[in-house]
Amino acid sequence: MNYLYFLYIEFLTKHNVPQIIGDITFYCIPITIIFIVLLLVVLALVLAERKLLGWFTQRKGPNRVGFWGILQTLADALKLLCKENITPSSADRFLFNLAPILMFTPALVVLGLIPYSSEFMFVNFQTNVLIYIIFAGFPILSILIGGWASNNKYSLFGGMRNVSQVLAYELPIAFSLLGVITLASSMNLGKITLAQSTQYGVLGWFWMPCIIGFIVMFISILAELNRCPFDLPEAESELICGYNTEYSGMRFALFYLGEYSLLFANALFLSVLFLGGYLSPFGKYISTVFFGGQIGEILLYFEQVFWLILKSFFIIFVVIWIRAVFPRMASFDLLKFSWAFLLPISILNLLLMVLLKYFMGGVYA
Amino acid sequence: MTNTNLLKLNLGPQHPSTHGVLRLILELDGEKIVSCKPDVGYLHRGMEKMAERLSYVQYYPTVDRIDYLAGFFYSELFCEIIEKALNVELSERVKAIRVLLLELNRIASHLLWIGAYLMDLGAVSPFFYTFRERELILKYFEKITGQRMMNNYFIFGGVRRDIFDIEDVEEFLEILKTKIKDYERIIDSNPIFLQRTKGKGVLEQNVALNGAITGVNLRASGVNLDFRTKHKLYEGYEFTPIVSEGKDCYTRYRARVLELNESSKLIKQAIEKLKQNSALNQTLIQPIGLKLPAGEFYSEIEAPRGLASCYVKSDGENKPYRLKWRTGSYYAVNLLRKLLKGTYLNDAIAIAGSLDIILPEVDK
Amino acid sequence: MNIIEFKNLFGESELFGEKIIMKSDIAKSLQFLKENYGYNILKEIIAIDNRDDIELSYRLYSPDDDEDVIITTFVKGEAESVSKIFDSAVADEKEIFDLFGIKFTCNDELERLYMPEGWKGHPLRKNYEENDERLKWND
Repeated sequence: MNYLYFLYIEFLTKHNVPQIIGDITFYCIPITIIFIVLLLVVLALVLAERKLLGWFTQRKGPNRVGFWGILQTLADALKLLCKENITPSSADRFLFNLAPILMFTPALVVLGLIPYSSEFMFVNFQTNVLIYIIFAGFPILSILIGGWASNNKYSLFGGMRNVSQVLAYELPIAFSLLGVITLASSMNLGKITLAQSTQYGVLGWFWMPCIIGFIVMFISILAELNRCPFDLPEAESELICGYNTEYSGMRFALFYLGEYSLLFANALFLSVLFLGGYLSPFGKYISTVFFGGQIGEILLYFEQVFWLILKSFFIIFVVIWIRAVFPRMASFDLLKFSWAFLLPISILNLLLMVLLKYFMGGVYA
Repeated sequence: MTNTNLLKLNLGPQHPSTHGVLRLILELDGEKIVSCKPDVGYLHRGMEKMAERLSYVQYYPTVDRIDYLAGFFYSELFCEIIEKALNVELSERVKAIRVLLLELNRIASHLLWIGAYLMDLGAVSPFFYTFRERELILKYFEKITGQRMMNNYFIFGGVRRDIFDIEDVEEFLEILKTKIKDYERIIDSNPIFLQRTKGKGVLEQNVALNGAITGVNLRASGVNLDFRTKHKLYEGYEFTPIVSEGKDCYTRYRARVLELNESSKLIKQAIEKLKQNSALNQTLIQPIGLKLPAGEFYSEIEAPRGLASCYVKSDGENKPYRLKWRTGSYYAVNLLRKLLKGTYLNDAIAIAGSLDIILPEVDK
Repeated sequence: MNIIEFKNLFGESELFGEKIIMKSDIAKSLQFLKENYGYNILKEIIAIDNRDDIELSYRLYSPDDDEDVIITTFVKGEAESVSKIFDSAVADEKEIFDLFGIKFTCNDELERLYMPEGWKGHPLRKNYEENDERLKWND
C-alpha cells in the first residue's frame, strides 16, 4: 500500500494540507469504498438469488421495481423498515432484541478480515483464519437466543436444530481448514493467498491439491449458513419459518441481511482459501498488461478486488443452484452425514495434506 | 429413562405444508412424535345439509367444490346418481368425453401433488415444473368448459356442449411424455429425495385395508384394487392398475408418476372413441322441477385421492332426503394417527404429504 | 356370500333388497363377515334420520369378490361401535356423532368434528333447529 500512500500524500501536500490528516484519512477512503460496495453487493445478492431461482423455475423473478427489478431489494428493505416491530407479549424482550444484532454485527466484522487485494487488508493479524472462524460462529448464538426468546415452539425447534447442526459441521470445517493451513504454512489469509501464486496458475490454487477439503468445507459451510439442503432451522414446510417466525420489521431485516452478508463473507472466505483469493486466473493482471505506469498500478488493486468478488459470486451461484435442485435433508440424516462421513474424510484429507507438504512442499514454499 | 414432559405442538391449521386447514395436534418428545390427533372441520361447508334444502339442479354447482382439484369426479358422481335414478343411458361419445376429461383431471391432480410434495420436502423447482404442465390442462378445460377449475361441465344426461380441439390433448400427451422423463431425472435420481422417502411411512397392507384407504395409497401397498375396472364409463378401455409393493412414501410417489402414463393411455383410447363416434346423441334430463323416484341410489368412482362415492336417498321430492359423500382423503387423515406415531417431525411432513390429503374433501 | 348361512348364525336378520337388516349384533356380524368372507374394507357408514329412529348402514366391500354388502340397523341415541374391528369406523362414527348425535359405545374419540365445540344440536337431524345467530343471514 506504500505506493498509493505516497501518491496520496503528494497530492495533499500540493494543496497545503498537513500530512497528519492524510495519515488518518488515507485508510478511511478504501475502507469506506469497499464497505459501501459490500453492502450493495449484499443487496444485489438477494436480488440475484430471486432472479436466479426465477430462471431456474422458468419465471422472470422480480421485474417491476426499477429497471429489470434492480430496486426490488431496496423496496423490500424500505417496506421492512416501515413495518411495525412486533414483540410477542410472552417473549423475553431483551434477548429478543439482542438476537438480530448479534446476527448482523459479526457478519460485518468478518468482512473486514478478508484480504481484498494485496494492499486492502483492514485487519491483518497473523491468525486471521482463527478470528474469522470465531466470528463466523456467532450467528449460532443469535439463532439460539432468537429461537428461545421468541417463546414459540417452532422458533425453539429452529434454534435447537441449528445448534446441533452447526456443532456437527464446525469440526469438518476446522479439519479441512487445517489442511489448507498446513499447505500454506500460515494462518494469515493474505499469506494463504500468496502461497497459491505458483507457476501452475489455476491448477496451483489449493482447490486442486486439497479437493476433498474444498468439497467438505463447501458442504459444511452450506450447513453453517442454513442453506438448502441443510435449511432445517428455518424449514418453511415444517417449522413455518424456524427461528425467525416471530420476527418482523427491521429485526427480521437484520436477520435476513445478516444471513446474506454471511453467505457473501463465507463465499469470499472459500475463494481466498481455495480459489486463489485475489489472484488473476490468467497468471498476469489485465490492468498491468493494458495500462502501463501509474494508472495500471492503481487499477491493479481494483482488479484484484474484482477477481475475488467474481470468484465468490461463482460460489454463490453454485449455492443458489443447489437450492433450486435439492430437497431438504432429514434432521437425523443430516447429523449422521457429518459425524459419520464428512468428519472422517476431512481428517483423512488433513493426513494427505501433511504427506503432500512433506514430499512436495517446495511448490508452495 | 428420565421423566420428561412432552411438548404439545399445534401443526396447523395455518401451516405451509398441511395443504389447507388440517390441524394436527402432536405430542413431541424431542422431535419424535408420541401421539398425533388430527382435527378437521375448519373448511366445513355443510355439503350434506345443503343438499337437503336445495333442489338437485340448485345443488349441482356446489358439487365439484368438494375437491376443487378433481371437480369432474364429483360432478360425474352426482350426474350418475340422477342418470341411474331416471334410467338414462349415455351415448358412446358422451361417455368418451367424460373419460377424457376425468383422466385429464386426474393427471392435473397428480401433477399438482408431485409439485406440492416436493415443495413439502423443501425442493422449490419441481413445483413450478409440474404447474407448467398442469397449466396446459387447465387451459384446455377453460377452452372447453369456460372454467379452469370447478367446471360444472357434465350435466344430467350428458355434457354441456360437444368437445372440440382434441389435437390440443394429443399435443399435451406428447409434451407430458417427455416431461415425465424430466421429472424422473430431477427427482428420482436425487439422493436426498430417496433418503427422505424410501422406507419412510410404511403402510402395511392390512392397516391400509382396515383404515379403508383406497386409491393410489392402497395400490402402493400391494393391493390390486382399482374401482375404474368395474365402472360403467370405463367399459371397453384397456389399462393396468399400477400395483406396487414398496409400501413407503417413495412407492406412493412412483405410483402417481406411473399413473400419469396410465391415464395418458386411457385418454388416447378415449380420443380413438371420439373419432369413431362423431354424433353427440345425448338425451338431456330437464333439470328444472326434476324429481327423483323414491328409493336409494349409489354411485362410486375412483377419484385421484381414492374411492369417492355418493349416496342419495330420495322420497320422491325435488330434494334429496339424505345425501352422503364418501371421500378418500377423510380416511387418510384418520390414518395419520397411526402412521405418524413414532416418526420424527420432518419425516411426519413427508409421510402426511405422501397420502395426498386435500382438506375440502375431508371437511365437506 | 351365502346369505342362508349368515341368517343361521345371526337369526334376527332379514334380507331387504341388497341390504341385510339386523336388529342387534352389528359388531359381531361385521367381524364374522370380515374374518370368514374377506369383507375387509368398511367403505363407509351411512346414517339416515328416519324421524322416529336412525338408520345406520355399514357398506362392506370385499376386494377378492369385488362385491358390496350392506348391513343395516336401526338405532335410537346409542349404538354399538365397530371401531375395534375396522379402524376406519373411528372416523365414520365421529362424523355421525357430530352430525346425528348418536353415541357409539367403546369409541372414546367422540367429540365435535365439523361443528365448533359447544354447538347445540346435530345438524343432519330432521328436527334440528337452526338457532345460531350466525345462520340468520339466510332469512
